[in-house]
Amino acid sequence: MKTIIEAKQIKKVYGAKGNVFSALEDIDLTVMEGEFVGIMGPSGAGKSTLLNILATIDEPTAGDIVVDGINLTKMNEEQLSAFRRDKLGFLFQDYNLLDTLTVKENIILPLALAKLNVKELERRADEVADKFGIRDILNKYPYQISGGQKQRTAASRAIISKPNLILADEPTGALDSKSATDLLESLKDLNEQDKATILMVTHDAYAASYCNRVLFIKDGKIFTELVKGKRSRKEFFNKVLDVLSALGGGANDVI
Amino acid sequence: MTLFSLARKNIKGNFNNYFVYFVTLVFSMVIYYTFTSLQYSEKIQESIELSDTMSFMFGVSSIILILFVAIFILYSNSFFTRKRKKEVGLYAILGLRKKTIAKMLFYENLIMGIIAIVIGIILGTLLSKLFAMILIKLMGSIAEVDFGISILAITQTVIVFMVIILFTSVQGYRLIYRFTLIELFYDEKKGEQIPKVSLISAVIGVILLVVSYWLILKPFPDEFTTEYLMKNYGIAFVALVIGTHLFFRSVTVYLLRLSQKNKSRYYRGTRIIETSRLLFRIRGNARTFTVIALLSSATICFLGATYSGYYSNEKRAEEVVPFSYSHLSKGPEFDSQVERIIKADHRHPIKAQLDIPVIQVKGILSFQLDYDINPVQLISESTFNKAANALNKDETVLLSRNQAAVIQPRFTEYTKSVFKGENITIQLPQGSSELPFVHMVESNVLPFDYPDFFLVVSNEMFAEIAKKEAPLTYKVYEVENEVTAQATSKKVNKLVGNDFQVSSSFYTEYKQGKEGNAITLFIFGFLGLVFLAASGSIIYFKQLTEANEAKGQYEILRKIGVNKKDIRKSIKRQSLFVFGLPLTVGILHSCVALYFTSNFISNLIGINLIFPILMAIVFFVIIYAVYYVLTVNTYNRIVNK
Ligand SMILES: Nc1ncnc2c1ncn2[C@@H]1O[C@H](COP(=O)(O)OP(=O)(O)OP(=O)(O)O)[C@@H](O)[C@H]1O
Ligand SMILES: [Mg+2]
Repeated sequence: MKTIIEAKQIKKVYGAKGNVFSALEDIDLTVMEGEFVGIMGPSGAGKSTLLNILATIDEPTAGDIVVDGINLTKMNEEQLSAFRRDKLGFLFQDYNLLDTLTVKENIILPLALAKLNVKELERRADEVADKFGIRDILNKYPYQISGGQKQRTAASRAIISKPNLILADEPTGALDSKSATDLLESLKDLNEQDKATILMVTHDAYAASYCNRVLFIKDGKIFTELVKGKRSRKEFFNKVLDVLSALGGGANDVI
Repeated sequence: MTLFSLARKNIKGNFNNYFVYFVTLVFSMVIYYTFTSLQYSEKIQESIELSDTMSFMFGVSSIILILFVAIFILYSNSFFTRKRKKEVGLYAILGLRKKTIAKMLFYENLIMGIIAIVIGIILGTLLSKLFAMILIKLMGSIAEVDFGISILAITQTVIVFMVIILFTSVQGYRLIYRFTLIELFYDEKKGEQIPKVSLISAVIGVILLVVSYWLILKPFPDEFTTEYLMKNYGIAFVALVIGTHLFFRSVTVYLLRLSQKNKSRYYRGTRIIETSRLLFRIRGNARTFTVIALLSSATICFLGATYSGYYSNEKRAEEVVPFSYSHLSKGPEFDSQVERIIKADHRHPIKAQLDIPVIQVKGILSFQLDYDINPVQLISESTFNKAANALNKDETVLLSRNQAAVIQPRFTEYTKSVFKGENITIQLPQGSSELPFVHMVESNVLPFDYPDFFLVVSNEMFAEIAKKEAPLTYKVYEVENEVTAQATSKKVNKLVGNDFQVSSSFYTEYKQGKEGNAITLFIFGFLGLVFLAASGSIIYFKQLTEANEAKGQYEILRKIGVNKKDIRKSIKRQSLFVFGLPLTVGILHSCVALYFTSNFISNLIGINLIFPILMAIVFFVIIYAVYYVLTVNTYNRIVNK
């Protein structure tokens, strides 16, 4: 199997001289193609920061990142944009929908930017809309829909271009358990059928139980790692809960 | 903490947000103060007292200016308030009493207004001097405009602005009472809802525009009263404003919706983003577009009128006094005296010098002409051709024995066809002779003197008549650089006296026209520049505010993989629409308005004003293009770092 993400010694420091804050310290991370990796940890641990760096939205203070054989730190702006557009699906913690576009237009935006033909574009839009049950709101604007609907819209946008790498930052945070399960199932489908590699930040042990492997981060460092292996989802779920309580603080986040 | 200090802290805390509003206030005050201090300068007060048109013009201009300034401030105030509704809502939620918030907003606006007045007057005093010097230089006027610190101007500025500021402050005070909390919080979103395509408002808009164009282009009635002016053009103006607004509101929506229909175009690249952004802001934009379109047409009109005045003066002077100097020969001694004076001026060497013999006779036309033709003045064919050549005019006349060519009487608009196939019977002591008209030329060679009816006749005919009727001889000189021949012209005028109704030297005629126009041109030019600056800055500030609001949206685009180059392109396209649409409409409006004014002016002075109007439009478009580039760059810097 091929390595899809190889991050070495990633550091991220916020702030200027005198008032520095280290959000990530020497993180090493390797993700193989087709893995479904969860990232957990208390609020402020640095999970979003890590994900943003992997998504090339943020730059690390130090360290090297190779994604799919390409060294991200050596690419220029245009190449990075193309990488984000063509290879990556990002599901943001704060949705990041465009206010001026309807739900449908938000969803198809990556395809429009990639200049896909209209027929195929419409077909895929219908497909994901059905998958996430947002057909009825396709013509609404983001300010007219609920938080959960926004999250599902953001999810649709992230997966519509069938990216080989999906980065999801708390994708189920605003969803009821039914919608959350739908979303997790479709991520699992993408993972299993389309061989998409997925990295998912979550506070929810149930969501984490869908992963093959869960990383726990605390204070900017990797605290421990849990592999599902042959365990059933239920067993894995309980394992995750154990680690969370050992981690402290995280337990509050479990519903 | 007192309320007063809370309000002061508010301003200090977010000065950046207040900046645009504040700049608008100061800008308006500088403009207004400059204008009023001009109005109260001695020179202009004199001319206002002397002439009715002058005081009318100043009256109208100052009303336009007050209106403009008030609208400008109210507009930016409502814009500014809208952006702050959320903040106000927050205060209410934090538990501040409504009355406290209301008072705070009131004081805040008042403080800003008062500071703006002080700064405005200081800047205005400095700028007005500079401004006056530049404009006076441009017009080449010797009229000194004395700008000083004028108490009257300060008082008037303070009064006008205190009224406006108090009004906006009261608006601020009432803000919290006018809206519920939820409205305060969600206003930004609500205001930006996408309007539906309304056929009715589109049709009404177009009808209003047609009506107002029709009213403007309608030929003048025989009797020209102030009441007619007010009624006809007042209605036209109101229809124009409302029509323009409806036009922008419905037609732009229609156009954008149409472009959305074509999915394979719409869903391709960043077009989807631009179109939807424009559509999203259409309500706010429609208002801005209307203001910009009207301001640009006002700008073009004022600049066009200024330049036309400038341009037509020289043309008019050239037409009325074709040669640099002309005089009636009064014996060799007198003539050589004049010649010596002209020759002594080495800075203006003589280019051409000739004698123009003219015979005055009585004539009867074969048809009815609404012009007093007697005495008819005859010039010989060869003399006319020589003179026209000396003036660099490519008009030559070729006549056989008894044919005649008429020279178009000045300040009339008779065309060739009026004289075609007709003739004139000239009465001489030994009998009369009939001369058929074969030609009409447009430029005369002698200074204007009523009745201005000249005929060119063949050389034989002229010689024959000259035997019976002794010709008068005019001496004419054309010199280099006649527009500066001040001293010599003065001497020549003094010596020659009144040979014609107009001056006998070109320079004097040219200068008089210029001075007569100077103040009018100054006002037009001033208003033109004010509106030019205003339309540019409104659109610039509007785009910048929008850029600041849209920052987050562009960041999202970058995150999902749109590169900087494409974002820049997208900004360019959007701005092109925002700048281009109102410009197009504004140019159209101004063409109509200028067609009207130029007809008006042409009727008075008989000069075609297409050229100066075109120049004014080109000038405006160039300046506007500079604003466009500036806006795109700044917008890009804000959202695309
Ligand atoms: N732009 C920034 N400037 C300074 N500090 C920042 C910045 N962004 C994040 N931080 C800090 O870095 C740390 C990690 O933030 P991050 O957003 O990665 O947390 P997280 O693990 O995603 O938390 P949560 O579960 O609440 O989303 C936090 O302490 C945060 O305050
Ligand atoms: Mg986070």
